[in-house]
Amino acid sequence: MTASGDDLVAQIRQALKVVIDPELGHNIVDLGFVYDVSVNDGVAHITMTATTRGCPAASFLKEGVANSACLVPGVESVDVTMTFEPAWNPSMISPGVRSLLGFAEVN
Amino acid sequence: MGSKPVIGTSLCKWTVSYFALAVVWLLLAEVLMVAGFGFPHDDIGGPDTLVIVHMVCIGWLSMVLCGALFQFVPVLVAKPLYAERWTLPALALLTLGLIVLLAGFLALGGHFDGPRWLLPVGAGLLMAGFTLVVANLGMTLWSGRPLPEPARFVAIGLACICVTAAFGGMFSLVLSGTAVGALWPDLLVSGVPIHAIAGLGGWLTFTAMGVSYRLLAMFMLAPDGDARLGRLARRGGAAALAVTFVGGVLALWKATGLNLVLLLAGAAALLSLAAYGRDVLGLYRIRKRRALELNTRMSVLALGSLVAVAILGAAFAVTGSLQSHAGALAFLVAVGWLSGLVLANLYKIVPFLTWLETYGPVMGRAPTPRVQDLVAKRRASKWFGLFFAGTWGATLLLLLDAALGFRIAVAVVTLATLGLAEEFVRARRLADVAEPLRLPAGAIVPHLLVSRN
Repeated sequence: MTASGDDLVAQIRQALKVVIDPELGHNIVDLGFVYDVSVNDGVAHITMTATTRGCPAASFLKEGVANSACLVPGVESVDVTMTFEPAWNPSMISPGVRSLLGFAEVN
Repeated sequence: MGSKPVIGTSLCKWTVSYFALAVVWLLLAEVLMVAGFGFPHDDIGGPDTLVIVHMVCIGWLSMVLCGALFQFVPVLVAKPLYAERWTLPALALLTLGLIVLLAGFLALGGHFDGPRWLLPVGAGLLMAGFTLVVANLGMTLWSGRPLPEPARFVAIGLACICVTAAFGGMFSLVLSGTAVGALWPDLLVSGVPIHAIAGLGGWLTFTAMGVSYRLLAMFMLAPDGDARLGRLARRGGAAALAVTFVGGVLALWKATGLNLVLLLAGAAALLSLAAYGRDVLGLYRIRKRRALELNTRMSVLALGSLVAVAILGAAFAVTGSLQSHAGALAFLVAVGWLSGLVLANLYKIVPFLTWLETYGPVMGRAPTPRVQDLVAKRRASKWFGLFFAGTWGATLLLLLDAALGFRIAVAVVTLATLGLAEEFVRARRLADVAEPLRLPAGAIVPHLLVSRN
């Protein structure tokens, strides 16, 4: 990927921070829900997860990710894949947010 | 087998309507108790007490459970609800059926000169309503086979509401003095324990236990991937219920009395509760989220009521005073355990559903508040404290035969319920969400009694 591609990925990651998990109250990037972001010819490919497969919030999170990534200049369209492999776990949370949430560091 | 599991299920439009009506029934029942209507001023099996019991068990608890299950069974099995269009007719049938049934009890108690058909017609309408609920949830579960453990609890709970309703229907024929009912003169004596165990134990408690496995794991972020989690509790409970139904029907047929059946069922139920307690404690120990939220802490208080019921029940059984304390124990089960658990979870579910409805559609386009921004924890904690203090006080006063003290304690419970109801309304109105996050562009304040989906 080119330097400008890296920039675009960073911008998309930044834009995705407007999407929060309503229950945990933090943005999905810091919570570790976003597994992968790549850009190909203006198409952003985002792979993400949620805490529970059947949760009614999951589809809103997916739409929210598409909506926010679309607003980034240089992104022409967005393709979001929701996956539960691997399953999300709290060790994926960024350390700062983890301590804010009062999460156990181990186990 | 059905289609692929869905990602994200939609909001059930009428769930909040079920919740709202349910809270109204609870408040009505509490006001009647404060006014001295029914037990302990009246006979525990008398028509006036039956009015309150059915207001609480059908109007409040069953209504809230149905509304919640329409939302949660799809989450449990990751499949859409089989027929959302059946949920409103079911609500109408249950409400109308309950009103007619209560009118029948009031007529039976001599409060007005009503026709004899009120009880059977009310029971018939209720059975029709529950049939719609069971069919809808049953088909949803069916599409999600093989069922995860919590969903199996729900399936057993659904079978139990069928048993409860069938017995209730037969009672209505006996109590209204019909010719068919006259064929079963002893049905009320032996049938009432089965009706009550199937309703309070099987439908309400067992279903709540099953759902709580998933909810507690979700709220505490405790890994619940072990497929065996809940298995012993389910098997013990299923054995208790099966012994009650099969043994109960045999005892009815042979007219031998229910003592042995209830003893065996009680032992299996205690095993189930002990296993459930162990499981909940296990989830608590492995939780990733250290600080527990108010809804979880209040659920623990409700669970404390259930533990107290098990200990007191066993103690009274040993001392032979179970019969004379049955009213206090039933009160603690219905109000301390089930109502406490339901209110604690409504405190979470109402803001969560309101959040999804209001902010879900604008997510990604504008900053949104968190679910906890929709509630005022300190105010709600005060009301919950009052609710549990009042409930435990009322139970103690019932055990001490202090009828007036009981009414005063229930007045405290009523005040707390009103306070919590106001908190739920404020959450629906987004009244506690600070600006400028309250209404981002594109977001609309939800209706109080119905969700847009």
